[in-house]
Amino acid sequence: MATEDARYRLSSQYRLWSFSRAELASLREKSNSLARASISERLSRASSSSEKNNNDRSASTSNANTPDPDGASFRLPEFLTVADESLMTTFYTTQLLGAGSATGLSDEICATAAAFFRRFYITNSIMTYSPQDMMIVALFFACKAEGWFTRVTDFLKMGSFRSLKKQPEDILAGEFLFCQGIRFAFDVRHPFRPLIGAGMELRRLGDIKEERIRAAEERAKSILRFSSLVTDAYFHYTPSQIMLAALSLADRELAERLIHETFHHITPPANKGTPTNGGDGAPNDSHQPKGQNKEAIIGQQIRDKVLGTIEACREMMAHEMPERSKEHWQSKDMYQDLILPIKKKLKKCRDPDRSNLVALQRARREEALKKGDSDDGDPEDRGGTVDDDAAVFGEAARDAKRRKVAKGLDDPFGGPL
Amino acid sequence: MPVLTSDDMCPVCKMIRYLNKDMEFLINPECYHSMCSNCVNRLFNDGPNQCPYAGCHKTLRRKGFRSAFFGDLTVEREVDIRRRVAAVFNRVEDDFETLRDYNNYLQMVEDLTFDLVSGTDARRHDAEATLQQWEASHKAEIERNRKAGRDADEMTRRRVNAEREAARQRRVDALREAEDEKVERARSREAELDSLAQGAAPGGGDGQRVQLKRPGPAAGSSLASASFSSASGALADVGRLSIRGLKEKRKPAAAEGPYDPFGGMDFVPSRYRVREGLDHPWLNKYRLDRSYATGGYTFNEYTHRAMFEAFAGLGVFVDDEKEVGIGLSAREVATIGAGIAAVGDRMELD
Repeated sequence: MATEDARYRLSSQYRLWSFSRAELASLREKSNSLARASISERLSRASSSSEKNNNDRSASTSNANTPDPDGASFRLPEFLTVADESLMTTFYTTQLLGAGSATGLSDEICATAAAFFRRFYITNSIMTYSPQDMMIVALFFACKAEGWFTRVTDFLKMGSFRSLKKQPEDILAGEFLFCQGIRFAFDVRHPFRPLIGAGMELRRLGDIKEERIRAAEERAKSILRFSSLVTDAYFHYTPSQIMLAALSLADRELAERLIHETFHHITPPANKGTPTNGGDGAPNDSHQPKGQNKEAIIGQQIRDKVLGTIEACREMMAHEMPERSKEHWQSKDMYQDLILPIKKKLKKCRDPDRSNLVALQRARREEALKKGDSDDGDPEDRGGTVDDDAAVFGEAARDAKRRKVAKGLDDPFGGPL
Repeated sequence: MPVLTSDDMCPVCKMIRYLNKDMEFLINPECYHSMCSNCVNRLFNDGPNQCPYAGCHKTLRRKGFRSAFFGDLTVEREVDIRRRVAAVFNRVEDDFETLRDYNNYLQMVEDLTFDLVSGTDARRHDAEATLQQWEASHKAEIERNRKAGRDADEMTRRRVNAEREAARQRRVDALREAEDEKVERARSREAELDSLAQGAAPGGGDGQRVQLKRPGPAAGSSLASASFSSASGALADVGRLSIRGLKEKRKPAAAEGPYDPFGGMDFVPSRYRVREGLDHPWLNKYRLDRSYATGGYTFNEYTHRAMFEAFAGLGVFVDDEKEVGIGLSAREVATIGAGIAAVGDRMELD
C-alpha cells in the first residue's frame, strides 16, 4: 500500500466523512425519515394542545390546516422529499459560496464552510434546522477552523453579512449544535494545495508551455472553488482525485500526462538521471518500492483504476461547472420554478421546536440549570425520545461528556436529529 | 540433694558439675547427643567412633563437636537445619515475577524444612535427598546468589556509612555557617554603630546589604541519594534460578529501537519525489518575501506538503473501500462470493 494513501486514511475526512454512493443515499434517506417522524409527532402534539386551548375559537392557524377540527385525525403537511432536501442544500451551498466570496473570505474558508454545511445536512434535515441560519454558522465556524479568528460582532459587520441582519446570538446558538452535526471533524482536506503540487510537478517535466499550465491551473482552481463544493465530490473522492478531475476538466491532456507519469511502473518516472535534493523527505533509491509492491503502487492496473475514478469524479463535477453559479443558481426563473415551491412546502413542515435556535438554546440552558440541582439520572434512560434528546444536547459539558462515554465511540453519529 | 539436670551431669560418664566446675557440654550435629568435653576427648581422640548413647549407631568425629548455642537441643538442631536450607535456597523476592510466585517458593522451602526438622523418617529421607539433589544441580547459581547477597550486604553497609558521613558533614557545615552568620551579624552591627557614630543616617547603607540565605539540607542529600540509587541498582542484578515465576532476563533495550511517536508509519513517499527546484509562480510572493517567514517553517515544508497532498489518496477508492473494505474492489468481492457459492457444499461438509 502506498504510504501516502495510508496517511490519508488516517484523516477524519476519510474515516468519518467519506461514503460510498449507497451509504450516502441511505444516510440521507434515514435523516429525512427521522425528521418526518419527529416533526409529525411534534406538529400533532402542538395542534392538539392548541385545539384544547382554542376550543371556542373557530379559526386558528392550526385549524386552517385541518379540515376536520373535531376529529382526532390531524392531517400532516406535505414533507420535503430527499430530492427536495438535496436541491435545497445545493442551493444554499451556492448562496454560502456567493456570500463568502463577496465578503472577501479566502477560498479555503469558503470551501471549508461549504464542506461543513453539506456534511451537516447529511445527518440533519433541512426541515429541522433552517439552512439560512446554518449557512452563516458554517461560515463563521469555518473561519475558526481555518485559523482565521475574528469576533462574532466583527464578523457580522463584514461585507455582505451586514445585510443578513443577524445577531451574534443567532450564530452562537447554533454553533455547538453545528459542531455536533459535523462530528467535531474540523479538518477538511481541500484540493487547492494539491493543485499547487500538481503545478510544481508539471513544471518540472519541462516540456509543457508555462502559459498552458497557468491557464489550466486558473481554470481548475475556479472549478475547485465551485463544482467540487456543490456536488458530493468531497464525500466520494479524495482531494487529489478531485484535483485531477478538475485539472482534467480544464486540460484533459495535462491531467492524463500527470497520471501516466506517476503510475509508470515499466519505466519509472525520470527516477534516473535527475539529481535528488537530498532533503529529509526525499526518498532514496533504496526506499523506492520494489518488485510486485511497485506494481501495486504505481503499476498499470492501479493506473487504470485511478483513471476510471477520476473520470467518474469529472463527470460528477461536469454537471456543476462554475458558469452554472451565475447562469443557473442565481437566475430568477430557477428560483421561481424550483426553490420557491420547496420553500412554501418547508414553511408548513418546519420543525416547530427548532425554528428559533436562540429560544431553543435559552430553554435548554434553563433546563440545564434546573437539572443541575437535582441529579438528572442516567442519560441513557432519556436518550430514546426526541424531547429528551433536545434536553441532552444543550446541557453542560459534563453531561455531554457522560453521554459520549455512555454511547461509546462505536457510533460516531450519535443521535441523528 | 540437688536435682541433677542434664546441665549438671554428663550422661556418658556421669560426672557432675559439682566435681568439675569447668565441665563443658558438647554436641555433634550428627545426632545432637550431648556429652562433656572430657568424654569427647576420651572417646574420639583416636579417630571416629560410635556415639556412646545406647541405641545410637552414628559414627562421630571429634571435629564435628561444638558447644550448643541453645539450651534446648531440638531448637539447636532446627536452627542448624534452617541455616543449611537457607544457604541452598537463597533466592530473593526481586528474582520473581510476582509476589505470589515468591510466596509459593517460600512455602515450598518451608515444607521441605518442616520435613527435615520434624517429619517422619521416610519424609525426612526424601527431603534430604531433594535438598542434596538441588544443591548439586544448582551449585553455580547458589554460589552466585550467595555472592550477590554478600555484595548487597556490603552495599548496604557502605551506603549507611556514606549517609552517616554525609549527615556528619552537614552538621559540621551548618555549625560553621551559623558561626559565620553570627560573626557577620556582629560585624554589620558594628558597622552600623560606626556609621551612626560618624553621623550618617541609619539604615542608609544596610538596606542594600543582602542577608545570605543558608542553603537548606538539599545540598547534602544529593550524595546520599546517588549512593542509594547505585545500591538499589546492584540489588536489581541478583542472579536468577529456574524456579517457577522467576523473572525473565531483561531484553536489551536496543532490540526495541528508539521510540517512534508515529507507530511505525512510513513517511517516505512512494509515488513522487520531492526534488530541488520545485516551484510555483503563485508562491513566489511567499518564497521571496522575508516578511512571510516564520520560525520553524521553511518554504520547503510547503513544497513537501503540497506534493504530499497532490498524491495522497490517489489510490484510495472510497466507493469500494467503504462498501467492502480496503484493498478489494467490489468486483473482486463479487468474484470471491461466487467462488464461495460454488464450493459452498464442500464447505458445509467441513
